[in-house]
Amino acid sequence: MNEVERPQRPETSPAPALAGAFGEIYAEHSRAIYYLALRFLSDPQKAEDATHDVFLKAFRKMDQFRGDASARTWLYRITINHCQNLQRAWQERHIFPQDADELARHAPMSTDSPLRILETKELGERIQRTLDKLPPDYRLLLLLLSDGDLTYEQIGELTEQSADAVRGKLHRARKAFAALFAASE
Amino acid sequence: MKQRHKLSQEQQAETAAELNLTKKAELEFSGPETLLRHDAAQVVVPPAVAERLRESAAGLETPRASWWRRWFRK
Repeated sequence: MNEVERPQRPETSPAPALAGAFGEIYAEHSRAIYYLALRFLSDPQKAEDATHDVFLKAFRKMDQFRGDASARTWLYRITINHCQNLQRAWQERHIFPQDADELARHAPMSTDSPLRILETKELGERIQRTLDKLPPDYRLLLLLLSDGDLTYEQIGELTEQSADAVRGKLHRARKAFAALFAASE
Repeated sequence: MKQRHKLSQEQQAETAAELNLTKKAELEFSGPETLLRHDAAQVVVPPAVAERLRESAAGLETPRASWWRRWFRK
């Protein structure tokens, strides 16, 4: 069994059409922004549009970037606002179950239980199905945590809550995710 | 009998090899965040996004240079 703690994650993605400094910024952060949008919106086409819109917004508002946050955090903030606005506007997603916490409460596994998979082929779909069943705030916390470079404080700032609240919610979010992921097999 | 025994051994070897392959494909993640990290690493941003951005940004005024320096300090 292979323990996957921190897979290699090339930050760069091909951006042949964008040159210069903006192209470098896009290359460094586009994967993270696209991934957050993809798993948050649960739709590749909408994620593609959102990634375009987020970077265009960033391009337009560069002079407003104060430099007191990292570029990644700033882009995440734009992405979160953008995706949440889209979701509010659509009002078409009613797939958040009220029982995610309930399921987690009765889950036999602890949060320390490893998640095992045999097939990576349809892993993305399975992850998406699991995330879709989580309450949106849990989903967002887990996606931000998966970045690996964000602190609890930064996640708290992005989600407008304290670092302690983030820690508490993450515990429940992990448990709910693990239970739903196991049930999705 | 010997032939049958030999076949059986070959079959066993094949089965063992298949099991071994299956075992190699098994991955273990210590938690949701490592699983999501792995998932994120498999994702490729559609090249069309960069192309669309280039077209969209072409019609805009280039932002002042000062923010680039601030940005790259991070």
